Amino acid sequence: MEARGSAVNTPASRPVTRRSKSYGRSCVEAPSYFWQTPGHLTVLKIPTSRGAAKSQLITDKVDPEHIALLVKNEWKLSYVTPLHHFRHTQLKSYSRHLAAFIAAEKQQGVAVEVGLEAGFKVTFTAVLGLAETDEDAETVFIQIQSKPAFAAAADAPKVVWRGWLTCVNGDPEYLRSLPPDFVSLPLFCTSGAESLTTLVKTWFERAFDCNFGSLALNSTTLNWLAALWTGCHPTCNIRHLKLAWSLPTQPPMDVSYTVNPQDAWELWNSIHPEESTDDKIDIKEVQSFISGLETHFFRHFKIYLSAGTLVKVSTALGSAHLDGKIKIGNSDYITTLLTLLTESALLKMPT
Amino acid sequence: MDAQVRSVLRRVIRRIPNKNIENLLKKWNCLSTDQLCALDYTRPKWMIVELVASFCEDNSLNLKQITNLEMMYHIENPDQGVWHACQLTEAQDDAVCVDLTQFKEQFKAHLHGVVRHISIKMKKHEDEAIWIRIAWGDNFSKPNHLKPTYVVHHLHTSYVFISNLMAKHKIFLCQALVMATKHGSIKDGHLSTRSLTGMRELLLRRYQQVFPNAHSSILQERNTLPSHPCIGKEHSGHEDMRHQMSCEAFGHGPTPKLETAVYRLETRYRGNDNQTLSDREEFFRGVVRFSSSSLLDSLRHCVASGMAEGPVTPLLSAITQRGRNYFVITDKGPSVSSQASAQRA
Repeated sequence: MEARGSAVNTPASRPVTRRSKSYGRSCVEAPSYFWQTPGHLTVLKIPTSRGAAKSQLITDKVDPEHIALLVKNEWKLSYVTPLHHFRHTQLKSYSRHLAAFIAAEKQQGVAVEVGLEAGFKVTFTAVLGLAETDEDAETVFIQIQSKPAFAAAADAPKVVWRGWLTCVNGDPEYLRSLPPDFVSLPLFCTSGAESLTTLVKTWFERAFDCNFGSLALNSTTLNWLAALWTGCHPTCNIRHLKLAWSLPTQPPMDVSYTVNPQDAWELWNSIHPEESTDDKIDIKEVQSFISGLETHFFRHFKIYLSAGTLVKVSTALGSAHLDGKIKIGNSDYITTLLTLLTESALLKMPT
Repeated sequence: MDAQVRSVLRRVIRRIPNKNIENLLKKWNCLSTDQLCALDYTRPKWMIVELVASFCEDNSLNLKQITNLEMMYHIENPDQGVWHACQLTEAQDDAVCVDLTQFKEQFKAHLHGVVRHISIKMKKHEDEAIWIRIAWGDNFSKPNHLKPTYVVHHLHTSYVFISNLMAKHKIFLCQALVMATKHGSIKDGHLSTRSLTGMRELLLRRYQQVFPNAHSSILQERNTLPSHPCIGKEHSGHEDMRHQMSCEAFGHGPTPKLETAVYRLETRYRGNDNQTLSDREEFFRGVVRFSSSSLLDSLRHCVASGMAEGPVTPLLSAITQRGRNYFVITDKGPSVSSQASAQRA
């Protein structure tokens, strides 16, 4: 398995792999863009080891105002297939189109009065700096504000919906294999009314010929986050490591285990010493960490936590829920979280 | 009726859900039959509140009658808010001789002596429970009837159940209880739940307990699914044993309704063979919280289904045996033993 981050130069002689894509409607694209690759394994591999979470003063790379938009909100996750003909230079025009689309959809079935303001203002912003590699596309942040019909000029419009598309440390082979007109921003995070989320997704699907799907996290991702975040404790106080399981009893029972951060870190350190020369963390170490906590729990309560499901992991750095909801607590480690999520999104996408 | 009385009345009526309000007003007996007939319970709540308020105004009802209505509602619907259990200890020799009148007098006398403005109401319910409603004031302000404390005590038992008590009033209430019941002291029962009924059932042992018995009749009572005579269940013996263990620990039939159990762990690390950590002197600290809509049912199912290994660990069975749901678990003594013991905090 290739380790993440190792520099791999595709030798010129190696054939470039392409993934076959099928679209719902008949394409008008030139047929040369699509290769059938029968029997070819997916380009993306699930990594078994990754680098430790590194703290970065993300404010060096990204505008602090933009960072403030991402932190402290709860985001619902979706994946999206690559966008066709998406241009970062056309963001203003996209804002206008989306606003018009939302206004039109909301007015369907309602008698239109001439002169009444539509009431939605959409802003597309490029959040520069989150992208890590050369292949990553820049993050795009979308904000929808509502203007009440009879508001005075001084009334500040209220933000009713926020969303952002991002790609952080996306698999470079996959990204390079995309045809030139496609931009991949596989992770879509939303916060706000579900009706608006659906409208935004519909607009994107129509404008850029892409597909959205809900991104539920799996327990492996949650385990990685638990280990990676705990490893950050020396440099950034995680305050607690809280793991929540749900056991399928009747009625269902939730078990939450909040571990003292220093003790959690000592356990992690005994499995993966800080001073080890190898910067890579192996999945086996992560599993050993979680299983250690489960065993300590078992020795006391004699309950097999493996009979249930780990549903939520949270520390001061953020929280992640199995249903695909995340919260970013601290911007310094945002890259680690987004890398994991981008990877999940790419893996979840239908090939 | 002055402004304070009106606001208390409004708050009381607003809090009572529509389904209870009709019967309560009839029982209350402070509104005339004409007024009761005039009330239309299908109207929106705010309308009913206004109507009742205006009727009370017409009848010139006073604060005492209004707080009586609130108390009646709470006695009939005790499972609201959060209740905490306390336990009286060091009973004096004449504690068993305390009768209701004595208790009432002593309790009121003590509180009136230490708190300048206070309003105390006591009612004895048919099931021998004494309900006490206390509206606290202080040296400068009149009693606050919007946030009353409720106390329930069964005379001659050692338990007291308290709801909505502020920290600054705790000492006064505790002193009054100790004096009125002729005990030496009162301590925290480490049990809190939303359901007073559940709490009483648990502490006063009013649920169906099962005791270890060689010829347990439980096994026959279980209604197992009818199965084909040619099909034999390999694990039926194990299943029956697990079922027996679960009932011994958590009772049989409907269990007292608890929602949570919290364990503060201060024991040494006992994970898988981890050399560095197992030798550590320091504790592996953490807090475990179990929560469910009916915790004892969930735990019982956990044991019966095999998600928990038998025999049931004393940490879990202590919930029913000791009647508490907050524990601090520490290692006993310097040697690392495989069993941790539950200790009082």
